[in-house]
Order: sequence, then C-alpha cells, then structure tokens
Amino acid sequence: MAARRSSVIGLVSLSLLLCACGKDHRSNRIELTLWKHQAGDVEEAAGKLAVARFNASQSKWRITEQTLPQGGYTQSIVAASLAGRLPCLMTVDQPMVASFVWAGHLRPIDGLVSQAELTQVEAAAVGRYSGHLYSVGQFDAALAIFTRRSALKRIGARIPTLDHPWSLEEFDDILAKLKATGQYKYPLDLATRDPKADWWTYAFSPILQSFGGDLIDRSSMRSAEGVLNGPAALRFGQWFQSLFTRGFVDRREPDDRAFIAGRAAMVYTGSWWAPDYRTAAGDDLLILPPPDFGQGPVIGGGSWQWGISRTCSHADGAAAFISFLLKPSEVAKMADAAGMVPVTEAGAALSSDFRTGGKSRIFFELMRRFARQRPATPAFSVISNNFFFALQNIADGKNPQDALDDATDAIDQAIDDNGGYLTTTSAGR
Amino acid sequence: MTRAPRLERRGPTAFLFGAPAIIGLLLFLAVPFLMAFTLTFTDQRLVAPQSGHFIGWRNYERLLSVSYLVQSPRDKASGNVAAGWKPEYERVRSITRSNPEYRGYRPFTQFRIGQRRITILAQDPEFLQSLINTFAFALMVVPLQCSMALLLALLVNAGLRGQTIFRAIYFSPVVMSMVVVSIVWTFLFDRDLGSINRFISLVSFGTAPRIDWLGNPASAMPAIAIMSAWQGAGFQMLIFLAGLQGISQELYDAALIDGATSWQRFWNITIPGLRQTIIFVLVVTTIAALGLFTQIDVMTQGGPQNATSTVMFHAIQRGVREEDIAYGSTVAVVYFALITVLILAQQAIQKRSSK
Repeated sequence: MAARRSSVIGLVSLSLLLCACGKDHRSNRIELTLWKHQAGDVEEAAGKLAVARFNASQSKWRITEQTLPQGGYTQSIVAASLAGRLPCLMTVDQPMVASFVWAGHLRPIDGLVSQAELTQVEAAAVGRYSGHLYSVGQFDAALAIFTRRSALKRIGARIPTLDHPWSLEEFDDILAKLKATGQYKYPLDLATRDPKADWWTYAFSPILQSFGGDLIDRSSMRSAEGVLNGPAALRFGQWFQSLFTRGFVDRREPDDRAFIAGRAAMVYTGSWWAPDYRTAAGDDLLILPPPDFGQGPVIGGGSWQWGISRTCSHADGAAAFISFLLKPSEVAKMADAAGMVPVTEAGAALSSDFRTGGKSRIFFELMRRFARQRPATPAFSVISNNFFFALQNIADGKNPQDALDDATDAIDQAIDDNGGYLTTTSAGR
Repeated sequence: MTRAPRLERRGPTAFLFGAPAIIGLLLFLAVPFLMAFTLTFTDQRLVAPQSGHFIGWRNYERLLSVSYLVQSPRDKASGNVAAGWKPEYERVRSITRSNPEYRGYRPFTQFRIGQRRITILAQDPEFLQSLINTFAFALMVVPLQCSMALLLALLVNAGLRGQTIFRAIYFSPVVMSMVVVSIVWTFLFDRDLGSINRFISLVSFGTAPRIDWLGNPASAMPAIAIMSAWQGAGFQMLIFLAGLQGISQELYDAALIDGATSWQRFWNITIPGLRQTIIFVLVVTTIAALGLFTQIDVMTQGGPQNATSTVMFHAIQRGVREEDIAYGSTVAVVYFALITVLILAQQAIQKRSSK
C-alpha cells in the first residue's frame, strides 16, 4: 500500500509540475484549453497557425490546443463532461451539436459573439438548437459530381449548370449511356466502401431530400413516419436500389481511386477530393452540381464547428477566439491553406481559390445555394445509424419499403423512449 | 485430478500474493459487469442530460419477444386456383405496423405450410440473426483454425530446414492489427479486382464464376471465417508446438521399432498426447470466435442483409453508436447468460461421460 500511495503522490506532483509548466510566465494571460478532433495534416497545420495568430494578436488570452483522435472524439467529450473536465473551447461535428446541447455540454454563443459577425455566416455553418445558436463553423465542405469533360462529350451529354442541373431522367440516361460505352464497368462511384454511417447520411440524405423525402419531420422533430417511409422516400429507395441492379454503381468499391484510375466516369463526393482530381484529370475535370431529383438539388451542410463548453469560466475569451476565426482574412487563409469552403461572402472574396472566378468558387456557390443541414435533434445518431443500415440493406436487395419502414420504426421508438427529447438541461453538471 | 492446495492453510500471504489479480478482476470485470447488469433495467443513454430511470424488464422484452403470424392467401375466396396461380399475401409490415397487438414486431423468418404463410416475428430480429450468425461462425472457424494450426505445428516441428523462419512467418499474422488484416483481405476478396478471384479464374482458365465473397449472404460469413482462421492460426500453432514437444520421443522410437506407419504414429501417439492441448485450444478458439467484432465492423458492417451481423457487433451498434447503452448492456448480459449455460451444460456432459 505504501508503494501505491507514494506513486499516487508522485503522479499528483508530476501533474502539478506539468500544469505549472503550461502557465505563461511572461505575462498574466488567461489560459484557455481548446480540444480539436484529429484532421488531415494540411488542415491541422492551418489550424495551428490560426491559433498562433490569435495568441499573437492580443495579450489577454492564450489558447493551448489539444488534438484528440477523431474516432473516439465524441466519447472523450462525454467522458470529460461526466468528470467535469471539459475544455473551454471545442470543435463539434455539426450533427452532434443538438445532442451535446441536450446533454448539457455546450452553452449558447449568440450572446457572446456579436450578431453582426454571426449573421454574415452562411446558414449551413451554424449549429442551432431550440432557439439558440451553439456553434459556428469557419469552413464547410460541399458535395459535387466530378467527371471528365471528354467522357460527357463522348456520349453527347449536356453539361449542367448551377441554374440548370441535370434532372433525374437526364442523369439516368447519362449513366446508361456511359455504361453502354463499355469503358466503365461501373460508371458512377458513390464511395460505397466507406463503412461509416456518417458518410452515408451526409452523402445520401440530401438525395432523399431532393426526391422530396427527409430523415425526419423537421417541423416537429418527433417522428419520421410518412417522411422517411413515404411515397417520395420510396421512390428514392427504389432508384437507389436500381443503381446497383442496373450496374451503375459498385456495391463495394475496392478503393477510392475509381475516378482517378479511370474505372469510373463520375464520382459523387466532397470538395476535399478536388486537389487529387485536378492532378489526375487536369483541364478535363468538370465539377458539377448534383442532379435535381424533383425538389431541386440538395447537398449536405455543416462540418466541424466551434463551440464553448457550459463549464467554461472565461466564455468571453473563447468568444474572442471564435470572433477572430470569423474575420474575413482568417476565413480566407483557412480556405486557401486547407481547401475548405469559406462560410462568409467576405472571406470567399479574399480567398484566391473561392473568390468569384476562382477555381473552387463552385463549391462556395453549391454550399450557399443547395446546402441543407442534417436534422438538429439529439436523436441524430439513431437516425443516422438506421438510415445507414436501411441504405445498405436496400443496396443489397432488401425491399425498399420494408427497409425504410424498419428505419422509421426504430427512429420513432428512440424518440418516444426519450420523451421526444423535451427535457432540457437545467444547470451544467 | 490432483487435489488443489487449500487456501486457508497458507493464510493471508496467499491472499496478499493473489491481491493484484483479484483486485484487477473485481475492478475491471466484476464491477463493470454488475454495472452493466444494473443498466439493463434502466433507459440510460450514453449522452443524456439526466441519469436513466428504472423501466423494469422493457429492454429484455424488446430483445427476446418472439411472436408469429399466420396468413392465408389474399384472393383465395375468389376460388381462382388455376395453374400458375401464385398465392399473394398481405404485406407483413402493414399488419405489424397497424395492429397494436403486433406493435414493435418485425419479421424474422418466413415459411409456408400448404397455402398458409407463417411468419416468425421478433421485436429484435437482428439480435436473433446475430446469435445464429455468431454460432455459425464459431462452427466454421473453430475446426478450420484448429486443424490449420495443428497442421502448421506438425510442419514446423518435423525437423525440416529453416523451420524457425517458417514458425516466425506463420506466427506473423497474429501480431498484425486485425483492422489492417481485415482491410487487406477486403481487397483480396474483391469480386472484380481481388487476388483470390483472379487466382481462381487463373487456375480454372476463366471458367469459374467470379465469387462476390463479401457481397453474397451465403459466402460472406465463410469468407470471414477463412480470413479469421488465417489470422489466428499462428497462435494456436504455438500452443500445439509446445504440446508436441511435450510428447516423449521414446514413444515414437518404440512405435518405429514396432513398425508403425507415420499415420499410425500420428493417430495413436500424437493425438492422444495432445488431448489436453486440443481441449484447451478448442476452448480458447471458441471463446475468441464468439466475440467476433472487428472483422465485421471493418469488412461488412453486418451485411449483406444481416448475414454477418454478430452479437458483439449488434451490442456495439445499439449500445454505443446509437447511444442506447442500457440496451447494449442487455444484449451483452443475455449473451453472457447464454454462454454460461452452454458451458455448464458442456461440463456436465463431460463429467458424465468421463465417469
């Protein structure tokens, strides 16, 4: 026991020592801890620079960032919240905002960051829940169709524009013609190899919305009945299944290089792939809006955003950091460094890639015109997981109506079990 | 059986030496299990503003409730039973979703007796399917992996040249991360570009049909069993190797003098000599097989159409990914109880047969 006790003392003193080291001795700045999910190297480096610029820009606050693995990020937040050790600032994946608010991890920021700064941010990049604004993003991503000009020319297909995207019939016809050339075993790549519900919901629920369905009835957020399994959703399900039965899409893409290698003529994916595709296809590359499946094109909105924890004792400092990030020059720097879609018009104008006429301007336009967020409800993880399994089963041949009915029942049951998620938190833990 | 040394005679010293292990077991096994057991009677969620409420047996009801539905063909009344007439039935879900008696039930399996269609319903058909899948996987992988391990052990124990290198090679998959192995095998299993199908088509001169290993409900689980056996066999090989080296060389020498063939030596000396090892290896492999998760999560996510969903996968899906930790715990607790009963039954049978 004696050994155990001394080791405990050792640990405590060690951690005290580390804390002491962390303090800035040169000035009496207030330390704020920031938790980030692990992102790609480029994004990571760009984020670090932004923090350094903030620390250098004023003398009151000092942000220290800690990067956590993305796989267990949500669990880390939950654990830290239970232990009362949440950092002041954290990145939050937009669909998880409602859940975090419901559980009492986040505090509203609409009183902290000025309204003028928040209103210039595109709607897709703010996390709202029950009348308050809890998170705001510095950047977003956009879904698009990437293809080669030469491939479309060969089959005589029209090049769609933002104002006149392909219709469902046109899109089907193009896929059939591309398939008929014999050059592509599967003309369209939908990244079906991705094993995570996140991707399937992010990528395919906008198509469901474009068909006229949705993941949940957004007016009440109480039920998916008639929306996820209604006539429009059924048409979406049948069409999605037909992509596989007609051999347009591979049920399991062996890798994510089908378009680069020329195995697929077209790929439906996010703006983060643009640099690789530009290298592979050069001037032949076309970045197109997704088809209009009936209710206009829709893409997913809402990426990683910034939020302030309920336990943060220096929320004004955290808000200062968020305001700093929303400065047009900062938004533009992040956009150009990491290829992320800027969320403000002013930021886009300052960016060399996203300004009018810039090579990535299309993504900004797509986000501004067509982005719709995933539903802001604490039930999101249940919705996402069940939608994912319904789509997988549909792709594998299950009756679409049965698959969508099952998902609807599971979602409605979860919402009922939680009393519609009406209980909001009182004071923080 | 030798009598176990009696604890009380050694006094507190024995407990002192055992303390780290006992504390570890209590802290990381017994306490979490008891907590999980308590959770099963609540509606606790992973992310929630308040702690769960007591809800009695609801989680167990949802997990285990089974019912059935008997349907007669739709237009039998019209008497239109001509040749080529196929009986049509009302869609099961339109009944289960409208009839309050069947609320929450979903079809698990369907069969026909005469003109009647019988549907077995369950509140959680995925769990039942996962249970069947898990035991099917164990039935496939345990014999495959153990016989492969024994074969490898015999091979690297035969005194051939360079056998140390081969021991290392055969053992190397065990050290690799299962996630990496799964990703690599997903490539190998690919229908169009995978090496396995290319090899099959090469040796069959292109006549063999391409197998959609992971995309076909019939072949997905066997494919995962093959991969798992390949990955895990090295470990069992090592145990068999130890067992083989424990068999006295004199027995083989005596058998040689008696003129026994190599098959007779294997069957009458090696196998009986390995009896305890084989039992141990079987038990260890079975336990590992019943916990199948990583391969499923990486390679198939339970698909196609639940053909590879396992109990552990189901528990993680519901408990962690859908944040319903109480339900996930219920899956784990029921599974634990089921395996305990199986082990107790197996031991009782073993005792009776050895008497």
